[in-house]
Amino acid sequence: MKYVLISLLFLVFTVIIACKKDTVAYEPTPYELEIPSHFPDMPIPADNPMTVEGVELGRKLFYEKKLSGDNTMSCGNCHSPQSAFSDPNQFSEGIDGSIGNRNAMALINLGWDSFLFWDGRAKSLEELVLEPVENPIEMHEDWSNAISEITQEAEYRNMFYRAFGDQEIDKYLAAKAMAQFLRTMISGKSKYDVIYKNSNFVPLTPEEQAILATVTPEETAGYDLFQSLNGADCFHCHNGPLMRVEKFSNNGLDATFTDLGRADVTGDMNDAGKFKVPTLRNIALSAPYMHDGRFQNLDEVIDHYSHNIQMSPTIDPLIEFANQGGVQLDQFEKDLLKAFLLTLTDEEFINNPDFQEPE
Amino acid sequence: MNKLFVVGLVGMVLLTSVSCKEDPPAPEPEPVDTVRIDLQPVFNGADLYLDSTYTTVEGHNVQFTDIKFYLEDVKNGAVQLTDAMLFDYGARGSLLYDGNGTAANFGSLTANLGVGSANNNSDPSAFPNDSWLNISNSNDMHWGWNPGYIFVKVEARVDTIQDGNDLFDQFVVLHAGLNENLETVSFSNLNWSSVGSNRHLLSMELDMSEFLQSTVNTIDLQFENSTHSAPGQETLTTKVMENFKEALTP
Repeated sequence: MKYVLISLLFLVFTVIIACKKDTVAYEPTPYELEIPSHFPDMPIPADNPMTVEGVELGRKLFYEKKLSGDNTMSCGNCHSPQSAFSDPNQFSEGIDGSIGNRNAMALINLGWDSFLFWDGRAKSLEELVLEPVENPIEMHEDWSNAISEITQEAEYRNMFYRAFGDQEIDKYLAAKAMAQFLRTMISGKSKYDVIYKNSNFVPLTPEEQAILATVTPEETAGYDLFQSLNGADCFHCHNGPLMRVEKFSNNGLDATFTDLGRADVTGDMNDAGKFKVPTLRNIALSAPYMHDGRFQNLDEVIDHYSHNIQMSPTIDPLIEFANQGGVQLDQFEKDLLKAFLLTLTDEEFINNPDFQEPE
Repeated sequence: MNKLFVVGLVGMVLLTSVSCKEDPPAPEPEPVDTVRIDLQPVFNGADLYLDSTYTTVEGHNVQFTDIKFYLEDVKNGAVQLTDAMLFDYGARGSLLYDGNGTAANFGSLTANLGVGSANNNSDPSAFPNDSWLNISNSNDMHWGWNPGYIFVKVEARVDTIQDGNDLFDQFVVLHAGLNENLETVSFSNLNWSSVGSNRHLLSMELDMSEFLQSTVNTIDLQFENSTHSAPGQETLTTKVMENFKEALTP
């Protein structure tokens, strides 16, 4: 009888073991994005769902200097919070002292962008974040070295495990985490947002009503100019809650091109001199301006569109006043337009502790 | 005792085999009917390409740089094919629609050329992610300064100086919208072709030479080159909508 009982126990144990599924003992917490009510939903890739653990890891990696060849540079170096997560220098300097030829773009609301970089060569955030690490004029590090280095730390191994379970830690997993972090960087609480919501009949909270009451006549007049066909005529390329349209445009910077822009990607000379239209959110903080950072301040930008448009074969037809050099704003109008552009600053976004370098 | 042991052992082995049995395979999903609609812009009977040069009847060289338009509430009677289609020649080529639908249900189609007032006056962020009316998908076809959507967008460059030099000196920006300019289109006897199991294709055409020279109106791009459907631009806006309607054929 004793043998029977032992045998039965053994078999029950065998049944339990044999039927047990391979489970991963990690429990990622879904991350709830705080999307403003006047924004569209953000598309999230099915193979990279947002998790609290993934975002936390992505933020740490974003500010991780070990991702660079000499451990001196992180993504945050060229995308500084106080510069709207862009570089205040015209061109960024890499670890070897090399200088690029394009201004670092501001990292704002990228979760809605379907192409990235000035020439649109990346089609996802996961693709975007892979490039600067290995770029010889930027962080100049081999990804396998970087992964090897960071995974020597138990903290990183644990963070990867909490975010992704027992998947092999590689650059693609790191990219997923950083992409998750970038998707959390949503700017939608500027004075402009209140103006936009009010103009589009979106209900305002009492707090927003109070902000609306502070909108000055100059800011309102500047917004009118911004949207006026016979004024500044900015709205064709910069409108909606994201303050941009998704397109590549030649905005009349040059008559001939030293940087082909989008054409470098497509090989189509009809795309020569065209660059991604950037958002104008936090524009007062993200100087210098244009793909090559040629303009040091907003006054120079406004002057360009007013008087200095250069004709070329691929110029955007939406630059409707190109034939006369620009929209011909006078100084009073320029000041009004600038007053409106300053309403696009979102201090809460810039100072959000969740976007700063972790302790 | 041995007998009891053997019975117990056999019983447990049986239990093991039963408890570990895999679930039966899921039944094959029902095949779903899908349709695709292609629309090819043409000029004087030949395929039109953006940034290529064509000559208008007035003798001006023209390069089209952007052609977009909305069809909304696309249906046959009470059967709706989709809430909205957005044609974007630059971004998606000749694709007008690709999605679920049974071709046999759509021997005829009607649609708004543009966006009807109910949706045109709605919050563009509130549409489902997969709707072309969602502002993420409408992109620059939703106006910020004017109410609603741009119904039809044609952008181009024109060489108005016939001196033998390819200097495209005149820009063309035709943006037609606003509720009062909405048109409807109707296509019947549609010739769907089978392109695989449960899949059908409809080919349509957009004749841009007819857009400029229709039986209804003529648009001379040298002089009629800008409308944003603003006050004072009603005449050209109407021409754009009427001619575009004429230029669309199955």
